[in-house]
Amino acid sequence: MEAVAAFERDAELMLRVREGDDTSFALLLERHRGPVVHFLYRMVLNQAISEELAQEVFLRVYRSRASYEPTAKFTTWLFRIATHLALNWIRDGRKEKGNESLNDDFVEGMERQVADRQPTVEQELLYEVKLQEVRQAIEELPAKQRAAVLMHKYEELEYSQIARALSCSESAVKSLLFRAYQTLRERLAHMA
Amino acid sequence: MKTTREKKMTCPTKTNNAEILMDYCAGTLNPARVDEFVQHIQTCDGCRRAVEAQREVWGALDGWTPPQVSADFDARLYSRIAREQAAPLWKRWWLGVVNPAGPHPFWKPAVGLAAACAVLAVGFLVRTPNPVDAPKQIRAENVDIEQVERTLADLDMLTPSRL
Repeated sequence: MEAVAAFERDAELMLRVREGDDTSFALLLERHRGPVVHFLYRMVLNQAISEELAQEVFLRVYRSRASYEPTAKFTTWLFRIATHLALNWIRDGRKEKGNESLNDDFVEGMERQVADRQPTVEQELLYEVKLQEVRQAIEELPAKQRAAVLMHKYEELEYSQIARALSCSESAVKSLLFRAYQTLRERLAHMA
Repeated sequence: MKTTREKKMTCPTKTNNAEILMDYCAGTLNPARVDEFVQHIQTCDGCRRAVEAQREVWGALDGWTPPQVSADFDARLYSRIAREQAAPLWKRWWLGVVNPAGPHPFWKPAVGLAAACAVLAVGFLVRTPNPVDAPKQIRAENVDIEQVERTLADLDMLTPSRL
């Protein structure tokens, strides 16, 4: 019921944006900014790039407000754009942009989280190692599998939504997820 | 002895129906099937191990918290929107065409089709033989019989006589 209400609310807000109501766009941005940036961060593993891509997502939503029709869930549309941008970035820019900055960003982000909780040095190191393993396991997945896992695990999207975001069938999504989780089970099982 | 209810559940790991396993661990499995699956994993070692491993993965992934979104994210976005709104109409239209809000813009198939047509056209022009350069066919009606006979006689003269 909650999901249906959220869907209707998003669609309603977007229809208002179509009519020129920028306050509704601000509300949509407030609701979906976090999930979109976090999804993109986990896809590209770089905060600056994930925010840049997320801005492009919302810019495209705003740009196409005039032609918006509530035929699918707003989140499906949003993650379809985000996935497309992330997959393109991974395909086109990964080698040129390098991994050095990603690691810097990773340590920086982690330090901030650790500082809030005031852990011991030992806890900090353990946390760092575990996080690094998770990050690496996700990074090593093929891009489509990674996107499917992130949408399934963190964004709790339905199979049909993931299928639309990835432009494939539901059965293909289930297969992608099964293979991805199988790989992750092998790589992360020891972390329990 | 298995109950009738237990018999209904075919092993998901053996029947390529891992969706049940994933949904169960994600807490999204249909409540009507949860009991059925719980009973199944009590008797199926393969599924029980898969559930345990999946839960471990789930727990490991839970520990990955992304950094906070920058405080100036909205300001930067609105600034980009304002810049775009100030641009001429043709430029805004063009941005919408080249950066669509979907992975498959309407013009992409047209680009492919146009490229294919161009290749075919070039190939046709290159491969079509020029009618001027085409070898002339010897037409039977233009052959002079007498000339052929003379030529054969000349050849006969040039051939050394057989002993």
